[in-house]
Parts: sequence; C-alpha cells; structure tokens
Amino acid sequence: MVNLRDIIRIDRYLWEVPTSFRPDMRVPARVYADEALVAQAMGDRSLEQLVNTATLPGVVAHVLAMPDMHQGYGFPIGGVVATELPDGVISPGGVGYDINCGVRLLASRLEFGEVEPHLDALATALQAHCPSGVGQGGRVRLKPADMDAVLETGARWAIRQGFGSEADLERTEEGGCLPGADAATVSARARERGRDQAGTLGAGNHFIEVDRVDRVLDEAAARRFGLFEGQVVAQIHCGSRGLGHQVCTDYVGSFQRAVRTYGIDLPDRELVCAPLSSPEGRAYLAAMTGAANYAFANRQILAALIRRSFEQVLAGKVKRHELFQVYDIAHNMARVETHVVDGTPRELCVHRKGATRAFGPGSDAVPGVYRDIGQPVLVPGSMGTSSWVLVGTEGSMTQTFGSTCHGAGRTMSRHHAKRAVQGPGLRRELEGRGIRVRAGSMAGLAEEAPAAYKDVDRVVAVVHGAGIARPVARLTPAAVIKG
Amino acid sequence: MTRLRRSDVRPPPFEEVAHTADRALRIRGGDWPELFANAARGLNSLMAAHAPEPTLMREIALEAIDLESLLVAWLSELAFQAETDALLFTRFEFRRLTVDALNALAHGGRAARIDRHVKAVTFHGLSIAPEAAGWVTTVVFDV
Repeated sequence: MVNLRDIIRIDRYLWEVPTSFRPDMRVPARVYADEALVAQAMGDRSLEQLVNTATLPGVVAHVLAMPDMHQGYGFPIGGVVATELPDGVISPGGVGYDINCGVRLLASRLEFGEVEPHLDALATALQAHCPSGVGQGGRVRLKPADMDAVLETGARWAIRQGFGSEADLERTEEGGCLPGADAATVSARARERGRDQAGTLGAGNHFIEVDRVDRVLDEAAARRFGLFEGQVVAQIHCGSRGLGHQVCTDYVGSFQRAVRTYGIDLPDRELVCAPLSSPEGRAYLAAMTGAANYAFANRQILAALIRRSFEQVLAGKVKRHELFQVYDIAHNMARVETHVVDGTPRELCVHRKGATRAFGPGSDAVPGVYRDIGQPVLVPGSMGTSSWVLVGTEGSMTQTFGSTCHGAGRTMSRHHAKRAVQGPGLRRELEGRGIRVRAGSMAGLAEEAPAAYKDVDRVVAVVHGAGIARPVARLTPAAVIKG
Repeated sequence: MTRLRRSDVRPPPFEEVAHTADRALRIRGGDWPELFANAARGLNSLMAAHAPEPTLMREIALEAIDLESLLVAWLSELAFQAETDALLFTRFEFRRLTVDALNALAHGGRAARIDRHVKAVTFHGLSIAPEAAGWVTTVVFDV
C-alpha cells in the first residue's frame, strides 16, 4: 500500500512515488492532483496499481496518473504509461475492456432559449432513436463483410452507409479510422457480440446529453471550435460495446500464457502483456485497433441518430436544427507515437486508460482545422454535473506524453451508490433542476449518481494548473439519456 | 425456541461486496463444481432479476492455464450466452472439472428480460482459496 509518507510533492499539482519505494519499479510513478485528490486516492488501490505499472518491461521516463484516477483492472483509471519500441510491452489492461471508450461533441447554431420549449420531446426522441442495445440489438446489423470493413475503416464505413459526412471525419481523432487494424485478429466471439450493437449506447456510465454552454473561458479557442455562450450542444459517451470488451477478454486470456513464454514477472494478472515485437503483441495491437475503429463507427452512427432526433423535433420550429461536429476523442487507447524523452525523439507505445490525448499547437496528429491551436479535449462530468471542453497544450507534450484527464473518476462503488441513492428520487432531483432524464434502469441511474464521482471542476482545475490542458468552455446538462 | 449458533449459519453461496467502479461477488462452494455453479448463479443475479426455468441444455467444454483462468473462462462463456442469446443457466452437471479443464452440461432457458450485460469477467484480485467449509473466491465483473 502507498501511504502519504511515500509520496514526494514535486510541484503544486504534481506528486511522485520514487523508485526507492519498491525494488521492482523501473521508473517513478507521478500523480497529477491537489491535496484533497491525493488523499482521496489513498481510499482505493489506484496508487498501488500505478506503482505496479512502473514494473512493466520497456516502460520509459515515468508512469502517470491524472487527477480523476481511481482503481481499475491492472492499470488505474486515469493511467498513462509509455513503453519503448521495439521490445517494450503492450498491455490490454492499459487500454481497458471498453476499447476506445470516448466522447463526441456535436454543436448546434441555436441558443438554449430556442430549444428549451422542446426539450422534453427532444429527450424522448433521443431515447427512442438511440438504443442502449441492452436486452435487444440496435438497428444496424452487420454482415461479416460489413464487420471487416468496420474493423478496418471505422467511421469511414459509417459515412459510406449514409451516417454523416466527411466533415465529421476532419474533426475526429485520427480521422475516425486508425491504420493497422487487422480483422483477422478479432475473434468470432467478438464479432458475434458486436454484430447487432453498432449504433447502440450501452449502459453503465455511457450517456447522450443535451447541454448548454454556460461559460466560455477562452474566447479565441471557443470561436475556433465553433462554441459560444448559451449554445445548445450534444455529447455522446460510449465505446466499442461487446466487441471491444471481448477483444480485451480474449487477449487478457491469451496473454496469461504469453507472460510465461517471455519470462515476464508481474504483480497483477490484469497487467499481462507481451512485447510489441512479438506475434502476440502485434496481434493484440491489430485487434485493439479494429475494436477502436468499431467504436468510432459506433459514435458516427449515434451522431447520425442524434441529428435525426433534432430534425424530427426541431425542424420547422427553429431556424437551423442541424448539428456540426466539434470533435471526437478516445480515452481508452494505446497508440504508437513519437515523443521526446531526455532530449531524444523516441518511438513509444502510449497507453491511455481513462486519459485523453491533449496534443498541443503544431502537432501533426491534430487535424488541420485545429492544428494551430491544439486539439479539443472533451471531459464529461458525472450525470447532472458540468462537462468541460479543454484544449491541448505544449505542456502536455513535455510532461505527460500529450495526455490529460478524461472525466470525473468514481469515488463510490456501484453497490454503495445503489444503497445510498434511490433512482426515482435522483431523477426527481435532476428534473427539479430542469434536467430531463430518460433512463432504461432506475438502479443504473442510482449507480451513476453525482455523489459517486469526484468533482470534475476540481479535476479540470488541476490539469489547468499543471499546464497539461487549458479550459475553453463549460457545459451544463439539460437532458440526459442513459441505457 | 432453539437459538441458531453462528456455526449453524452457512454463508450464502454468493454475495455482493463493494468495489469502486464495478460489481464484485464473493462466491463459496463445498467443492469446485459447487463453487463454479454458485459463481454462475451469482453472475445471473447481476444480469437479470429472474432466472428462467430450465428448458434447454448446452454442453460447455473449456481449457485454461490454471483454475482461476478456468473460472474466468467459464463465467465469460455464460456472460456471452446471456448477451448474445439471452440464455441464463441455473443447473449444472460437471462431467469433468480439473485445475485446467472442464466439461459441463448446463441447463437453462431464455430470460424474459436481461437487465444488464456484463462487459467482462476480470482477473482483478482473483484467487480461489480453501476455507473451512470448502472454497471461496471473489470475482470482479466489469459492468
């Protein structure tokens, strides 16, 4: 267990567990947090998990945790770990079961007052058009050839089917289509789970929200992102559904043998890994990439269904009901990237599990439309609380392999939340605040109560203070749709 | 009235325990088949309020690197059946259950409603250990 006396404070928002803490640590473990968030981290195993990631073969510089950190599987949620090619390892636990869980932000040209009279109808339409996929499939059923195309071309496949346009891809991380996917590395079981889940939201902490931009903090960046105060926007938070979950399950299973083959000793079985240069490592990267593309396609289809909902409810009642895309980001992913370490550019596999890319101005990986200012970073809060739009900074490139936080981070178990919070009461409270709620399950709603999460405003204040992202706009929810 | 002694009260076959982000079950069994069967019923409790009457049977054959991996594979198979076909299994005949392989006949039916899918069965803190009355383990499920 890591105690407060084991942590050195380096800076106002940066703490470090040195390698002297444990003999198997190859690099130090760094945490971005304020004092209260560090104390909160002592309440679960997240710090211990972070220290465990510092034992991975090939790990470089330091392992990192963002201020929304909490206990995960193998890696903590909020973890960022880079390993060096060719022989550094890749670990499915460093991506998570929900490969390319991420967020897409769409924006209207409407003021909140124009939409408010129609919010009930809009919330109902969104729930009707955007299925959760729990207990029954979605409207898009993928034939085997379609599935291959989705795995290898991601959101591009969805565009070809009529779900959106090229303009969306210009504003999606990596164009919504990651190179390097190999459909043959995705199991039949994963394909079966994903066959009728494309265009579905899922459950748990996944959601669709209609929000109002209630505060702009960086006028210039907001203008470039197409945001203004009082504007109506929509968020999607979901990932690769059963397909991605199965890919992770498959490779966590097969890597139980791989660690024995490659003589890798680990403190936690969920940290299983294989060298990126190995057939096992390459196969997982190719399968993970396919699952990530599935998630981009999933959010592309859901975006089209949200647009359909806005059209159904608002066309003819407001001057312009169309939605344009601001950005789409992943917060569970591993990517091969080049970063400068000790003055030298090095090719690294950067694992971000519950952490978001925050590439700064001038980065080639940022789409051309935003390259001069840095990429948008989308940080959803817990249900009923603020969400944030940030922008990537040069600070993140030098400190955190171009990474920042992803959300609020849980503090309370689902089990405890269901006992402490009643779903119907929570719904009444949210609706009393003017937030329309459509939920598939009252128990599921209770599990997602704001009390179960950290304060996202505090998380954002830390990343801003540390210089690894900069706030652009704050969003406040008007309607929440959950599976 | 006869008072029950603590030693007379058997612990439940499965019970939920706290976990920050997901769901965890502590599972017990007098032997490995009972442990695996109770784990399956515990999984069912996470997915649906009501298990169906057994009307069909499936043979499940699995191999794994060790007993913990076998349990993960077993529960993953059952979660897959629930997610893709809404099948829940409640009665089991284990024809073989060793440290690295099992063969079972699973009896179950189609659930009227699946309330929640289980994303994955994890290895988080997983250890199958002996105790006085048999075996105990805690399994964490990513939901």
